[in-house]
Amino acid sequence: MIFGSSYEPLFHIGPVPVYDHVVAQWIVLFILAVICIAATRNMQVVPRGLQNFFEWVVEWCYNFFGGALGSEHAAKRYTPLLATFFLFILTSNYFGLIPGAGTIHGFVPPTSDWNITGTLATIVFFSVLIAGFREQGGHYLAHFVSPHWLFLPMNILEQFARPLSLTLRLFGNIFGHEMIVAFLVLMAPFLVPMPLQALGVLTGLIQALVFTILATSYLADVVGEGHH
Amino acid sequence: MEGAIAIGAAVAVAVGALGGGIGQGFAGGKCFESIARQPEIADQVRTLLFITLAFIETLTIYGLLIAFMLVGKIG
Repeated sequence: MIFGSSYEPLFHIGPVPVYDHVVAQWIVLFILAVICIAATRNMQVVPRGLQNFFEWVVEWCYNFFGGALGSEHAAKRYTPLLATFFLFILTSNYFGLIPGAGTIHGFVPPTSDWNITGTLATIVFFSVLIAGFREQGGHYLAHFVSPHWLFLPMNILEQFARPLSLTLRLFGNIFGHEMIVAFLVLMAPFLVPMPLQALGVLTGLIQALVFTILATSYLADVVGEGHH
Repeated sequence: MEGAIAIGAAVAVAVGALGGGIGQGFAGGKCFESIARQPEIADQVRTLLFITLAFIETLTIYGLLIAFMLVGKIG
């Protein structure tokens, strides 16, 4: 159970074992896709209901990430990626609040497995590298030897420390929360775990925000320097 | 051996929570001070506070993770 790797796979597709968290991830993707399709079907000039809500979400994302990234150009280019992170992580975290989550196979928050948070952090890692070369070209390499070439090992280490801390922060918070709720359910099944689940609503939102804000600031680092 | 592992898990959580608790206390206290001085920036300060607390809590969570791993070894 620890680090989510020692239990049995749910089923196999050919030689590939499929675990609970992967199925949960598919369900989260399905939910997001269905909501998005429902929101963008029969779009009207004057939005109502779901479309109205999603226009507000998209606008909020553009303002929030655009403000952090610093330029209109960067906001247009990178907000889709960052907003996807936010919505996916938020939905994943809240997946654990569904009754039966954690006890029924296939119903666990996907972010409580470090393989999935690690995947997200790896995407951030490569996005930052690609964005750096795309916005600054070869000048991006100068970033690694600033302020002095003696700092080269430190700068490289920093690049690799980022995905590690992103992975462990999100995984640790969600997994820790799941484990504490599981212990409480064992000790006192009724009503006692409820305040903690309410705290989980807050934790899920804050951790989704923190992951996204960190990814934004890493991107803003490499994007902002390109316009000097 | 199992006793040593159990004590190790307890120390991991205890020390992690100690440092994190003190840090969060400082952060929260300063936040309340600044809101008391300038109530009109309460919203901005609160957002920053939550993010800061999440960062500090991460370090405590590392300790908790180590404790879970150690407890898993006892079986």
